[in-house]
Amino acid sequence: MTGNDIIDRATAAAESNWKRKGFLEKIFTLQEQQYIHEAASPGEMVWKLWSMKESAYKVYTRQYGGRFFAPQKFNCTVLSRSAGKVDINNVTYLITTNTDKKYIYSIARLDDPGNASFMNCCFRITGTDFGKQQQFIYERMISHYAMVSGKERNDIEIIKDRNGLPLLYCSQDKLSIPVSITHHGNYAAFTIY
Amino acid sequence: MNKEELIASLKEIVKPYVKDPEGLKNLDENSDFIKDLKINSANLVDVILDIESAFDIIIDNESMEKMLTVKAAMEIITTKLSEK
Repeated sequence: MTGNDIIDRATAAAESNWKRKGFLEKIFTLQEQQYIHEAASPGEMVWKLWSMKESAYKVYTRQYGGRFFAPQKFNCTVLSRSAGKVDINNVTYLITTNTDKKYIYSIARLDDPGNASFMNCCFRITGTDFGKQQQFIYERMISHYAMVSGKERNDIEIIKDRNGLPLLYCSQDKLSIPVSITHHGNYAAFTIY
Repeated sequence: MNKEELIASLKEIVKPYVKDPEGLKNLDENSDFIKDLKINSANLVDVILDIESAFDIIIDNESMEKMLTVKAAMEIITTKLSEK
């Protein structure tokens, strides 16, 4: 099972002021605040840690259900520029982060060898209409899966499970696979499995 | 402050962060900050900080955890104000 989260750096800079009083303290543990203060680019570290937390939240809520807003509970450890982990309630997620000039993109997965086979794709998206963006991403995901799996495109659709989380469903073999979708500003991405 | 006044002041607070104008127009007790108003989760922190300064209260982590709807925000504000 995987979760992913993308941050459009220009959008984040325009819409959030992480320097505002109290902002970092509400979201980050003392260790994480230390990472930020010591980073060559503190702003980049803020959004990297945030995307790590969000991607882990998506796997966690998929596993255990429920919704909540507790960013500090998702405890980040930075291992390298691209690798990290997030711990919450004795569950550990491995994180891979791609820090691009334009976006920061994290994928969280359980430490499970079976997870090695997940697919992902990250791309630019334009147009701001919320509903249309989602449809566009769904189409991209269906095409991607059809291409990689060799299955018929028309047999694949995106459905929601009982908690409202998306699944990719293939009517040909009655197979449903958990997927994670993320979009922010001009960027979008998804993971399948 | 009565219920209507509280909803009205919350509406003012969330306004700059709302991505769905329809959601703002229809805002009521049952509105979900993320699902209905499409506030992104990083801006939810701004909403919480703005509520803290508008009502001069401190929202602890335990309360923040539930801050996903207008109703939850109203309950937390009311509780914190009564503790003052």
